[in-house]
Amino acid sequence: MHPILARFERLAAYLASWFTIGILVALVITRQGLSWPEALVLVLPPLLVYAFVCLSAWYVCRAMPLTSGLPALLTASIAAAAFAGGFWMALSQTWIGILESLPALGATTERFREQSPYLLVVAVMLFLLVLSLHYVVLAFEAFRAAEHQQLELQVLSRDAELRALRAQINPHFLYNSLNSISALTSGDPGAARRMCLLLADFLRTTLHMSTLDQISLQDELTLADRFLSIEQVRFGSRLRVERHVDEDTTACRVPPLLLQPLLENAVAHGIAGLVDGGVIRLEIHRDRDRLTIAVENPRDVDAPWPTRGGVGLDNVRRRLAVVFGVNAQMEAVATPGRFRVMMSLPWGTDG
Amino acid sequence: MADMQTPPLRVAIVDDEPLARAVLREYVASDPAIEVVAECANGFEAVKAVAELRPDLLLLDVQMPKLDGFEVMELVGRDVAVVFTTAYDEYAIRAFDIHAVDYLLKPFSADRLRAALDRARERIGRQEPPPGAGLSTRTPGTPSHRVLVRDGPKVHVIPVEKIDYVQAQDDYVCFRSEGQDYLKDQTLAQAEAALDPARFVRIHRSYLLNLHSLTRVDVDARENHVAVLTDGHRLPVSRAGYARLTSRLQP
Repeated sequence: MHPILARFERLAAYLASWFTIGILVALVITRQGLSWPEALVLVLPPLLVYAFVCLSAWYVCRAMPLTSGLPALLTASIAAAAFAGGFWMALSQTWIGILESLPALGATTERFREQSPYLLVVAVMLFLLVLSLHYVVLAFEAFRAAEHQQLELQVLSRDAELRALRAQINPHFLYNSLNSISALTSGDPGAARRMCLLLADFLRTTLHMSTLDQISLQDELTLADRFLSIEQVRFGSRLRVERHVDEDTTACRVPPLLLQPLLENAVAHGIAGLVDGGVIRLEIHRDRDRLTIAVENPRDVDAPWPTRGGVGLDNVRRRLAVVFGVNAQMEAVATPGRFRVMMSLPWGTDG
Repeated sequence: MADMQTPPLRVAIVDDEPLARAVLREYVASDPAIEVVAECANGFEAVKAVAELRPDLLLLDVQMPKLDGFEVMELVGRDVAVVFTTAYDEYAIRAFDIHAVDYLLKPFSADRLRAALDRARERIGRQEPPPGAGLSTRTPGTPSHRVLVRDGPKVHVIPVEKIDYVQAQDDYVCFRSEGQDYLKDQTLAQAEAALDPARFVRIHRSYLLNLHSLTRVDVDARENHVAVLTDGHRLPVSRAGYARLTSRLQP
């Protein structure tokens, strides 16, 4: 679709410009001895018709994009301008013919014909102007399309990133769980089966959740419970959990798998490093339009600073940033013997 | 198969997870050529078991509380062979660097463990010299934040910021910390390699000084430089050591 004809306001602006140009041309012609009304009558009607002829410049632009090279561009422009000039000649001569037939203007028609060469030059110049205007419009539209495509790409890659981030199941968690099952098989087959079922449940839920954009906090808590039950088979009484979850928070909608990486971190870098284990504290509260989640774990005072710790936390932090931007915060505080992660996100429920 | 004349292989199982220990115990239970002499739930217990019970082989987990598997080997590697058992494959190269007999990835089968034990028996039968303690097991380029020193069955953990200086003494080095001396069988060069070069300066052939413990440098009657420490201790500074010290102290 023609970019100027496509939108009424563009066409109006285009014709208004031609109107102004017509008045300017008429003003110049009054210096040649014509009166104001005579000049306007001579110039304006054919010029406004000519304005529509010039719109055909768009097809020249389309056939000859800016990348075609200067010689081809010049040739095409000159040919098109010559064609437009011819059109103008036919148009203006017809109009003058009409004016001559009017008895009231009979006396001035000779002076009308004297203006024809000047008007031809003006008409060709105007065509070239419109042609370059079309090139500008076309370039602008191409730029907009590229920008749009860029945005679309960003959205797509964001989606892909989220999917990849959510799909991170720690393989060592799997290997260690399988090792526990292997150990239980002979001594306590019932426990081995329970562990298998827990693990299958955990994997299925994790994979399903990773395809969703949002889940209820209740679902996240259920998954967290499964994870902790599996880890409790490994660590026995070393792993203890204290939950302080406000009941009215469980309906809140949250991105999936936010809590589980924090708990995994608390087990791997806290409990696993302590001979007697310890208590992981999980706190979830609502504060008006904010949901706060905190996970705190003890850690060995002498333990080296975790070098392979940050991955899970970074992952959660990046996902919060992608989903909520500046509207979500997360901070990790390490004190001797303790580690605490807190995050705050916007409260939201269905309906 | 070992014949009836050879004494059983004496094995210590080291893992912080009860179930991981259970599966190892179960795998070796049917093998009369294996005797489990200890089960340890952390690195300290492992060092103690090696000192007191002298097992031939450790079945050793890597990630454990207090001391990890590599730190255990740094302390007792001269006295015992090791098969690592872990869920992590990324330590395999380090494990073979310290001459581990084998490296088992959890979960593993009874057959795989048997193969590792056969290999261990063969290695011990050949009386190959063990790799030697004090071998640095650390990832190169990352200075350690603590020094481990074994004192019989006990392990001392010395934070590096509490070490005043390290002194070479015959086959040992002596770490001086809070008025106490801790002997470790490694060379001063090995100790220097493990410590942060921004904090420790070799001021003498036999001395490595913690800059934080230095108050001033004196010149004695024979025109030799002497480092004076915060506790009043005086250490000799060689000419090359003085050059290193001044280059470090000048901005």
